[in-house]
Amino acid sequence: MDHQDDIFGASVNLEDTHLKDGYQEGYEAGFASGKDDGHEVGLKTGFITGEELGFYRGCIDVWNSVIRVEPTCFTTRVQKKIKEMDELVSKYPIMEPENETVTDIMGSLRLKFRAICATLNLKLEYNGYPKAADPNEIQF
Amino acid sequence: MERSIADELYSDIGEPKAELGQTSNTDVKESHSLDGKDDEWCEDELSWNGSDGELDRSSDLDREWQRRKKQFHSIGYRDGLLAGKEASAQEGFNVGFKESVLVGYDWGLVRGVTGALNCLSGELRGKIIESQETKTKFHNLYESMNNLSTTDALKLYNNDLSKRRVEEGKQNSDGSVLDSYHQQLRSLVLESPAIEVQFRDKSNAVLSTGQDPSLE
Repeated sequence: MDHQDDIFGASVNLEDTHLKDGYQEGYEAGFASGKDDGHEVGLKTGFITGEELGFYRGCIDVWNSVIRVEPTCFTTRVQKKIKEMDELVSKYPIMEPENETVTDIMGSLRLKFRAICATLNLKLEYNGYPKAADPNEIQF
Repeated sequence: MERSIADELYSDIGEPKAELGQTSNTDVKESHSLDGKDDEWCEDELSWNGSDGELDRSSDLDREWQRRKKQFHSIGYRDGLLAGKEASAQEGFNVGFKESVLVGYDWGLVRGVTGALNCLSGELRGKIIESQETKTKFHNLYESMNNLSTTDALKLYNNDLSKRRVEEGKQNSDGSVLDSYHQQLRSLVLESPAIEVQFRDKSNAVLSTGQDPSLE
């Protein structure tokens, strides 16, 4: 009922005004604090995500360097996995945190990395590397 | 005649009073004479009583309005606060993310290269790093990096950020602890031609993968 000509019309409209005024005030306050909070979380998440990606890139580059010198050092299966990781890191949209593909790419990178490390019997994980127990830790 | 009318009118009031207070007839008479003196006084009293009631009622209403105003205002405020936070949090997150992700990447790259080298068999490592000196340097870099967890690195990064805020105006990122690790890696990789590392092009905000021709 938009048009309330009865005596309650005015009070309903007034309540609406208070509601809107409060909303506006709250929105402004929330907008200011939300930006700072988000920035803080973004800084942390960005660093952690970047670290993981850079870490994969470093490993891949070293493995590729070894393969160039000694092409038979790794099995073809492992080499294939390394190549797949290479492509995934390259196509990861690092500057687009809102890109919908990032979760899938990161998940797939972790799986391949784990498979390579298991096959080659490597202990490469650094202190802070997302634990296998909670793979959802970094996802948002 | 007025008096009798008054008596009739106020007999209900007068009688219980008399009963309650056991008042004598003179008292009743006195009161009657008072009543009879001026009807205006009665009117005055009535109007005064009436205005008093209105005042009470209006202040009640006022209080009620204030209460409702406060109530609706705070309901709106709460909803607005959440909506405002939500609207800007993603924006702030994106800004922060883009600010730090490449710093983290450069740092992680050092972790990856030194870590993977450290895990290679001595034979394979010898094939891509010739000089023993470089091998030792790589190993030392690995050791000092491996002592630092991601949390430690985040703290270092945070220190760098606050330092940069203090020394605002100096745009160069040199002198930061994290960056010094990255520079060490760069110089070590230069010493080892067999190791090819895809460093990020610092002049560009995008990764230089050398594979994507769409990136200029």
